[in-house]
Amino acid sequence: MKKFLTAPRTALATWLMAGVAAAAHAGPMGFRDSTMAMGDFSPNWREAWVNHALTARDAFGVGGVAMRSDDRRLTREFAELTYTRLVHRVNGEHSQANFWFVGGAGQLKGNDFTGSKTMLAPGVSADYETTRVYLSGSLRLYRAPGINHDVASVRTGFSFYETDYDEVQPWLILEARRMRGLSEKTEITPMLRFILSRYFVEVGINNMKQGRFNFMYIF
Amino acid sequence: MKSFTIKFIATCVGTTLATGIFSSAFSVESVKATVNGMVCAFCAQGIEKRLSGMPATQAVFVDLKKKIVVVEAKDGQTLDGKAISLEIKEAGYDVTRLETVPQSVADIRAQMKGKNK
Repeated sequence: MKKFLTAPRTALATWLMAGVAAAAHAGPMGFRDSTMAMGDFSPNWREAWVNHALTARDAFGVGGVAMRSDDRRLTREFAELTYTRLVHRVNGEHSQANFWFVGGAGQLKGNDFTGSKTMLAPGVSADYETTRVYLSGSLRLYRAPGINHDVASVRTGFSFYETDYDEVQPWLILEARRMRGLSEKTEITPMLRFILSRYFVEVGINNMKQGRFNFMYIF
Repeated sequence: MKSFTIKFIATCVGTTLATGIFSSAFSVESVKATVNGMVCAFCAQGIEKRLSGMPATQAVFVDLKKKIVVVEAKDGQTLDGKAISLEIKEAGYDVTRLETVPQSVADIRAQMKGKNK
């Protein structure tokens, strides 16, 4: 019985943890007056976000997540309105560091309960980046009545070489994610990241042999 | 005397026109900014987009390795350094140095590409 309960919880943790990644790439918003689209797709997690930066530090958006357990018995859907705030940025001569706040609120539906629940999802993330090195960490709370899926993730990586502005830059990124209360496992995902101007793509396979595709695009 | 006067006026007008055309063709002006925090093409493309939208902008060049942004003015137009700094700031970066150079974006791009190799 315990094993039966743990399996879907583990899978659910994996899905929900994946959601934080979209907010932890190169930054969860673009420059002032820009619109940014983000996606994070794996067999059990399909998420899409779009937000618009009204100022250099504030963006509002909408997003949706479709989740499914490994055994395909449990599904959940979360639709949210989001607010993203660039709390602090430090521009160095050869580096940039950011501290972000991401807040989300919306309705959660699931096949393990009737109706819908209001979910609040505030989070913070920090990142440090040079043209060759990337580090980030994020924590996001997913709270609804009777549900607590706090998520933490860390990322690190390096680019294989420096590139000019108009060239494709490949990176190797390693991510570890974990969610309190739902998963006993830490998901480890090595990914290849490619950046070319306004295109940002990541592909990888996690330690549960699940494929992953992330993208960001600024309009 | 009349013939001399006509020749003199013609020479002056011709010289003036030639000088004007010549200087117009070669008086390229660009603003070159050194920018802190510019580490990623995905993030920095906001700089290019915002600066390209300025009315006096002819062309923009971004060099991630040297942390340089160059804006070339349209013919007969003057670039506003303060406005350029503000646009870069709005894109999320800090300008540490700003200078006007008598070079086109194409020239500077070629020069930088040569240095980066």
